[in-house]
Amino acid sequence: MDLDLLLGIGRFILSTTLILLLTIPTAFIVIQMELKIIASMNLRIGPNRVGPMGAFQSTIHGFKVLAKEDQIPDKADRATFTIAPWMVFMAAAMSMLVIPFAPGAIAADFNIGIVYFFAIIGLSVVGLLVAGWASYNKYSLLGGLRSAAQMVSYEIPLTLSVVGAVVLAGTLNFTDLIHWQRDHGWLVLWQFVGWGIFYIASLAEINRTPFDMVEADSEIVAGPFTEYSGMRFGFFFFAEYVALFIMSAIMVSLFFGGWLAPWPFPAELGGFLGTIYGIFWFFLKTYFFIFVAIWMRATLPRVRVDQLMGMAWKVLLPLALVNLFVTAIAVVALNL
Amino acid sequence: MTATEPREGRIPDPIDLDAAEEARLRTAAGIAPAVATAAGAEYAGFEMVGIPDRPPQTERERELFTVDEGEMLVNMGPQHPSTHGVMRLLLKVRSEVVTDLDVVLGYLHRGIEKLCENATYTTVLTYVDPMDYLSSMHNEHAPALAFEKLYGIEAPPRAQYIRALVVELNRVFSHGLMMGFLALDMGGITPILYGFINRDEIVEMLASISGQRMLFNFFRVGGVNWDVNDEFLSRLGTWHSKQLRSIRDNEALLTENEIFRARTQKMGIISREQAIQLGVTGPNLRASGVPFDVRKAHPYAPYAELEFDVITQQAGDVYARYIQRIDELKQSMHLIEQIMDKMPHGPVQAQVPGIIRPRPGRAYAAIESPRGLYSVYAISDGGPNPYRFRMRDPSLISLQVMPTLMPGHLIADTMAIMASLDPVMGGVDK
Amino acid sequence: MRLLTERFADAAPTLWTDEDTVEITIPGAGAADALRTLRDDPELDFWMLADAAAVDYGPTERFEVVYHLYSDRHPAWLRVRATVSRADPRLPTITQLWSGAGFHEREMFDMMGIVFEGNRDLRRLYMSPDYRSFPQRKDFLLPDDAADSPAAGVNPLERPETWDLTRFAALGPLNPLADAGAPTDASAVVADPAGEQPEPSPVGAGQTDASRSRPR
Repeated sequence: MDLDLLLGIGRFILSTTLILLLTIPTAFIVIQMELKIIASMNLRIGPNRVGPMGAFQSTIHGFKVLAKEDQIPDKADRATFTIAPWMVFMAAAMSMLVIPFAPGAIAADFNIGIVYFFAIIGLSVVGLLVAGWASYNKYSLLGGLRSAAQMVSYEIPLTLSVVGAVVLAGTLNFTDLIHWQRDHGWLVLWQFVGWGIFYIASLAEINRTPFDMVEADSEIVAGPFTEYSGMRFGFFFFAEYVALFIMSAIMVSLFFGGWLAPWPFPAELGGFLGTIYGIFWFFLKTYFFIFVAIWMRATLPRVRVDQLMGMAWKVLLPLALVNLFVTAIAVVALNL
Repeated sequence: MTATEPREGRIPDPIDLDAAEEARLRTAAGIAPAVATAAGAEYAGFEMVGIPDRPPQTERERELFTVDEGEMLVNMGPQHPSTHGVMRLLLKVRSEVVTDLDVVLGYLHRGIEKLCENATYTTVLTYVDPMDYLSSMHNEHAPALAFEKLYGIEAPPRAQYIRALVVELNRVFSHGLMMGFLALDMGGITPILYGFINRDEIVEMLASISGQRMLFNFFRVGGVNWDVNDEFLSRLGTWHSKQLRSIRDNEALLTENEIFRARTQKMGIISREQAIQLGVTGPNLRASGVPFDVRKAHPYAPYAELEFDVITQQAGDVYARYIQRIDELKQSMHLIEQIMDKMPHGPVQAQVPGIIRPRPGRAYAAIESPRGLYSVYAISDGGPNPYRFRMRDPSLISLQVMPTLMPGHLIADTMAIMASLDPVMGGVDK
Repeated sequence: MRLLTERFADAAPTLWTDEDTVEITIPGAGAADALRTLRDDPELDFWMLADAAAVDYGPTERFEVVYHLYSDRHPAWLRVRATVSRADPRLPTITQLWSGAGFHEREMFDMMGIVFEGNRDLRRLYMSPDYRSFPQRKDFLLPDDAADSPAAGVNPLERPETWDLTRFAALGPLNPLADAGAPTDASAVVADPAGEQPEPSPVGAGQTDASRSRPR
C-alpha cells in the first residue's frame, strides 16, 4: 500500500514534470513549423540562417525574449500585470496533464478528464482579461474585453459539441474514450457535425486566424499584449502555441482515435512498443491538425468581431444543441 | 529585472532634460515659457498629450471634438499596423462603432510643388517620382505631357507607345498590390506576397529599360529616355505568357472567399452622386457606376488608337472596388498586347535642348493613374524652371470620402475601406 | 465657347482657348456663382471638378485660383481662373457644389493663405496646425517661423552654454577613459603640422575632461 502510494506519487511527479518540460519544446516546434510553412505558402523561404534550414530560429527567439528589457508601465497594476502571463501559461500547462499520448502515458488519467480539460482551458480567458486591465492602456483594455467575449462565447459550442461524443462513448475518461473508438471506430465518423463545431470553436478559443481579432488588427497591434515585453510576452506567445498543440491533441483524442493507428490491425499494442507505436500515431495526427491550422492562418483573412460573435451564438450554438439532441435520441432509440 | 530598481538611481529622462533645457534657454533669451500642455497625465514618465491637444479651430473640429456620453476619441496614429503610409485617423467611436472620423495628413509632406519651382523641367520629372511611389510612371507621364504642351511639341509615336506600355505595366502591378493590401489589412498574409512577386517580375522588366526598380526616371520632355531592349522584350514575353494564370491564382484566394466577401460586401458603399460630389476618380468612381476614364474622356496618345472599354461596377462597395481593379488589371493586359502589336518604329525622344525654356503660358494635362485622375497644371514664365507646378493627386481627394463613409461601420472596417480606396501617402502628402 | 460668351457676358470674362482647353478668367468674388452656373446649366453640364489650384503671381501681384472642370458634352477641359487680390485673399467656397473641393481649399489655404469663406473646415492640411506661414507663396522664407524660437539668430555652437557639460552631472562621471591631459597624437598631427598650439577654449566654467576633446 505504502509502496503503491509512493510509486503513484513518484509517477505523478515525474509525469507532471515531464509534461511541464514538454510544453516549451512543443511551443518551439510549433512556432518553427508556422514560420516555415507560412513562408512556403507565401512563396518565400522563411528563416534559414539559424541552424540547419533555420531550424533553431524559434529556440533562439525563446532565448531572446529572456534577454529583453522587462518594462512595466508606470501606472500599471504591478501585481496583476505580472500574474496575467502566468495564468495563461498555467492554463495551457495544466491542461496538458490530461492529454493521452499513448496507452498508459497520460500524466493524470482522471475519470472526469474531459470536464477537467474544458474547465482548465477557460482559465486562459481570465489571464487575458487581467492582462488587458492591468496594462493601464485603453486599447489593451478593449482588446482584452474583446478577447474575453470571444473566448467565453466560443466555449459553449466547444463543450456542447463534445457532449455528443461523450454520450456515445458513455465515459468522460480519455483513455476509455479512446478504447471505445478502438472498438467502434473513430468518433469523427459518428459525430461529424460535432467535430466540425469543435474544430471551428477550438480555433476561435485559441485566437487563431481566422478568429484572431484579439491579437492583430485591433485598434493597435497586439490588443491585450501591447504593453508586455520580454519574458512576459514570451509567456503569452508560447502559451498561444502550446494551446494550439493542446487543442489539436484533444481533438485528435476525442474524434480521431488518439493514439490508435488508422487501421485496426493492430490499433494499439501493449507494453513499451505499444507506447512508441501510440506516441507515433498521436503526434502524427496532432501535427497534421496543427499543420491545417497553420495553413488556415496563411490563407484566410480575419473574421470581423461582430461576425465572429454572431457565428458563435447564432450558428454554432444551435447546431451543437441540435447535434446533441439527435445524438441523445439516437442513443436511446438504438440502444447504443 | 529593471522594474524593481529604485527611481533615484535612474538615468534622467531625456524628455525631462530637454524640457529643462528648453525652459532655461527661454528664460535666458527672455521669451515667455511654453504653455503647459492641457490634461498632461503622467504616463510611464512621459507627458501624455490628450486627444484633442488643442481647442477646435473650425466648426468641423468642434463637431468632432464634442464627445457625447459613451463615445471616445481614439487615435489610429501615423504609424499604422497596416500600410498606405503615414496617416493619422482620429476616430470617434462608441464601443467599436465609428461615429465620426477625421483624417490628419502632412506626415509625408515634402514640398515637392515648391521644390519643383527651383528645378529645370527635366529635373522636375525626377522629383515627381516619389509622389505616388507605386505608380511612378504615371507620376511622370502627366508632367511630361504638360511640359510638352508648354513647349509646343509632341512626343514621337514610338515614344508614345512605349509610354503607354510602361504605364499599363505600372497599372498592372499597382492594382495587384492593392489586392494584396486589402487582404493584408484584413488578416490574409498571403495575397500581399503574391502581389509582390508579381510586382517584382514587372519591376525587373522596367528596370531593364529604365535602370531603376522603383522610382523610374524614364520619361523626358519629348519622349522617353531609352528604347526597349532585348532583355525587356524577353522578360515581357515570359511574364505575359504566365500572367493570366498567375492573376487567377492570386485572386482565387480572395474573390470567392466567404470570409473576404462577408467583410467587403455592402461595406463602404459610395453612391454615384456621392462619388461625383466628393471628387473621387479612377477605379473608385467606376466601381460606383460612373463610366469616367480619362483615357477615353480626353485620350492622350496613343489611347485614341487602342481599343478598350470603360469597365464599371454597380455596387460601389469595397468588394466592387476590388473586382473593378481586377478587371482593370486584365484590361491592361489586353492593352499591353495591343500596344506590342501596334508599336511603330522611330525615335523615342524628340529633339529638345538640355534645358528647355518654353514660352510663357499655361498647360494642363490629365492622365488616368491607378488611383484616379492625376493631373498637372504647369505655368511657364519663359525661364528654365516652371513658375508654378501643381499636381492634383487622386489619393488626396479620395481620402475625403472617409469621413462621409465611415460613420456606422466598425473600427475593423476602417482598414478595409481605406485599403479599398487605395491611397498612397506619398501622393496624398506630396 | 459660344455658350460661355453668352452665359458670362455680364461678368466680362476673358476667354482664351487652346487645342484642348478653354479658359475663362473671372474676378474672384463671382467664382462660386460662375461654377454653379457651369455645373447646373444643362447645356454646359460641367459635372466634374478635376482640380482646384492656387497660383501666386509674385509678391506684388495677385493670387489666382484655377479650377479645371470636365463635361461629357464638350471636348475640352474648362479652366476657370478666378483672380484674387493679394491684400485680401478671400473667395467664396465651392464646397456646397462639390464637397470634394474641401481638401483642395484646405490645401490652398495651407499653402497660399487664401481664405475660403463658408468652408466649415478651413484648417491646415499639410503643415502643423500652429504653423504661421504659407509655404507656397513666392515671398516665403523659411526663417520667419524660426524667428521666435529660443535659439533665434544664434548659432548654438557659439553659445557658451552648449559647452557647459556640468548640466549632465546627474548622469555620473563622464567617460573615465578620457585622457585628462594632452590631446591625442592624431589630432596634434592633423591640427597643426606647423607645430602651433591650438587656441585655448573660450569656455569659462566647467573644464571637464570631455571639453578638451571637442573639435577645434
